[in-house]
Amino acid sequence: MKGGALEMGSEVAKKGSAPVNKVAAVVDFFLRIVAIIATLGSAIAMGTTNETLSFFTQFIRFRAKFNDLPMFTFFVVANSIVSAYLVLSLALSIFHIMRTRAHASRILLIFFDTGMLALLTAGASAAAAIVYLAHKGNTRANWFAICQQFNSFCERISGSLIGSFGGIIIFVVLILLSAVTLSRR
Amino acid sequence: MEKNGSTKIDIPETSRERKGKAPLLGGSGPGPGPAEYAKGAGYKKGIAIFDLILRISAAAAALAATATMGTTEQTLPFFTQFFQFQASYDDLPTFTFFVIAMALVSGYLVLSIPFSIVCIARPHALAPRLLLIIFDTLAVTLATSAAGASTAIVYLAHEGNSGANWLAVCQQFTDFCQKTSTAVVAGFSTVVLLIFLVVLSACALRKHY
Repeated sequence: MKGGALEMGSEVAKKGSAPVNKVAAVVDFFLRIVAIIATLGSAIAMGTTNETLSFFTQFIRFRAKFNDLPMFTFFVVANSIVSAYLVLSLALSIFHIMRTRAHASRILLIFFDTGMLALLTAGASAAAAIVYLAHKGNTRANWFAICQQFNSFCERISGSLIGSFGGIIIFVVLILLSAVTLSRR
Repeated sequence: MEKNGSTKIDIPETSRERKGKAPLLGGSGPGPGPAEYAKGAGYKKGIAIFDLILRISAAAAALAATATMGTTEQTLPFFTQFFQFQASYDDLPTFTFFVIAMALVSGYLVLSIPFSIVCIARPHALAPRLLLIIFDTLAVTLATSAAGASTAIVYLAHEGNSGANWLAVCQQFTDFCQKTSTAVVAGFSTVVLLIFLVVLSACALRKHY
């Protein structure tokens, strides 16, 4: 009887930490879905840019596409890779909801999450540098601000950065969630 | 139960305690025996020492990146009608961002060395390790964004872009271009070291018992 009471006590102690870990795992799953939408949206928004001006001059090209600039190509590729990885990691996330005490797979997930965070940040910041240059130009290097001609192209490429940066923030939160879950029982 | 206002519950010795195992209350499984506790401490201490070494090298790499980019300045001996004859890192706001971001990252890494030493001294402490992993992740983001943006500009300076009529300035400013490329490489090595640091902290966070 007294042993039974002690067993119940330990059950309560076990249940004390497990709900928080389960909530964290469910939040992780939903954040991953949001990140998939964000990065996929960014890749599509950047990948479908195509603007043709109605006029042309002797020096300026009259068509702008994302693959005119290799940084934007890298941006599209990076976002696609990251959203594909996120879809694959949903399976691992569901596994963590069911089995909250799996440590080794969580460390593996943190490793890949950090690598993907670096890839996404590199792509997003390279594209952001070029978008900034397209908006402002640079007088010292004689680089002309192309946004003055290509308005809708500029709006598209600027807007597609938002989803990517949102994905970066989500990745940081995901890594922290996994770390906090690891440190609890 | 005693009558002085406090409640004392006498828990009888269970069979587990008689056998010498740890009590069931307060844990979700058998608690750590002293041998497992010590082995976990040794493992975590090893990870913490490796963490300290990596942190010092990452701080060195970040400082090198900052210094290399911050001291770029080239004045050409000749000039033409269309090109500027002086190039420095603050001509391009992306490089300014790189210098500032890398300075922040190297400052953070230097300041986090005491926390790493605390983790070596107290292998089972959770709070410094959690703090380190949180700020290391933010440092990864900052360093990667600085390095990625500067890579874009360095690539543009090397190749130019015919579609946007952007000329490759590296053909004139060879020294400047070389220095900025070196700084970007140092920035990326900082990023790789920081990623290792995050994974190491994650490995050390788990409870081995």
